[in-house]
Amino acid sequence: MGDKIWLPCPAFLLATLFSVLLPGAAAFTPSLDSDFTFTLPAGQKECFYQPMPLKASLEIEYQVLDGAGLDIDFHLASPEGRTLVFEQRKSDGVHTVETEDGDYMFCFDNTFSTISEKVIFFELILDNMGEQEQEQEDWKKYITGTDMLDMKLEDILESINSIKARLSKSGHIQTLLRAFEARDRNIQESNFDRVNFWSMVNLVVMVVVSAIQVYMLKSLFEDKRKSRT
Amino acid sequence: MGRPALLLLALCAAGARGLYFHIGETEKRCFIEEIPDETMVIGNYRTQMWDKQKEVFLPSTPGLGMHVEVKDPEGKVVLSRQYGSDGRFTFTSHTPGDHQICLHSNSTRMALFAGGRLRVHLDIQVGEHANNYPEIAAKDKLTELQLRARQLLDQVEQIQKEQDYQRYREERFRLTSESTNQRVLWWSIAQTVILILTGIWQMRHLKSFFEAKKLV
Repeated sequence: MGDKIWLPCPAFLLATLFSVLLPGAAAFTPSLDSDFTFTLPAGQKECFYQPMPLKASLEIEYQVLDGAGLDIDFHLASPEGRTLVFEQRKSDGVHTVETEDGDYMFCFDNTFSTISEKVIFFELILDNMGEQEQEQEDWKKYITGTDMLDMKLEDILESINSIKARLSKSGHIQTLLRAFEARDRNIQESNFDRVNFWSMVNLVVMVVVSAIQVYMLKSLFEDKRKSRT
Repeated sequence: MGRPALLLLALCAAGARGLYFHIGETEKRCFIEEIPDETMVIGNYRTQMWDKQKEVFLPSTPGLGMHVEVKDPEGKVVLSRQYGSDGRFTFTSHTPGDHQICLHSNSTRMALFAGGRLRVHLDIQVGEHANNYPEIAAKDKLTELQLRARQLLDQVEQIQKEQDYQRYREERFRLTSESTNQRVLWWSIAQTVILILTGIWQMRHLKSFFEAKKLV
């Protein structure tokens, strides 16, 4: 629970220094991009809230990964309660909004389904959060030592920053692909189960029907015999 | 504690900019994380309780805890612990797949919570996002360039692990698809054969029945 930051040991003094001057590093500063996958039971609605500053950008992307029709109702509301997005029975969606100051609410609604629970994946991408980005990069001040070759260092650092940004994008695309693949895999597995089940049912029905047909015919004739004598 | 804690509280009261949701007293909320093996996951949460009189959420709730339970893809419990009203849980995956992280409050004082909702701020960091770079920089005494290079290496390693996991999943997916296709084919052939055999049996049985009853 962040206990070790408060230890007065000399060895941890540097870490303590970070935490006193920059409480943000000791508390949890949530990351700017986050994704969650959760199960939404049948007939229920679940809402999430995201606090946003003024003039930032909020992008939300969701996908239904598992559950009967693979569809869900989606609702996004501004801090004043005004509905910004309302989608019904969609299987995936992407929305970007330019934000005002306050808590944005978005809800996934599975009330239209009585028996199937849905697995929903959603991702939030926050941009232009302002002072947040500053905080996250401040730790750079606390590194030890200096690098030689000041002139070339600038170029190297620039290319490294660019590589990092591109790798983040790769990671992000991987997350998307993973969500798509999970959905396809779930579809296939449910197909497999359905094929097995209905084939067995089909077989049993065929055998039973043919047996019934034969014995019914037989019984018809036997009754006639009895009525004759 | 003193000053650092006050600064911390001030920042929290100012509103940490994280996703939050509301949870009922006995409600359990579960999140699924699909991760490759040997990946570290760190979860941070903060809870606030609804104060009915002041109609506002209290900044922190001493005495109220959350129970965190993590299950691995086979259903085995990896982590099952009680934390305080603000907590941080960590686990490392040993098998690739869907890990389920469940949170529910351990409140026994029903009166305190009557008609109550708990606001839970949650943040889950996976893989190289879970690394604490200020700490690593201090421990290994890294310069800025070295630290950046280290971050890149961690990032690439995580992407590579995800790709390996992706290959394993795709193979499973392909096996399931091929098995389904096979079964559809064999079931269809089997059904046709059974239909024909049943038809033949019916005809012969009825014919012999009629002959026995001297109708034909």
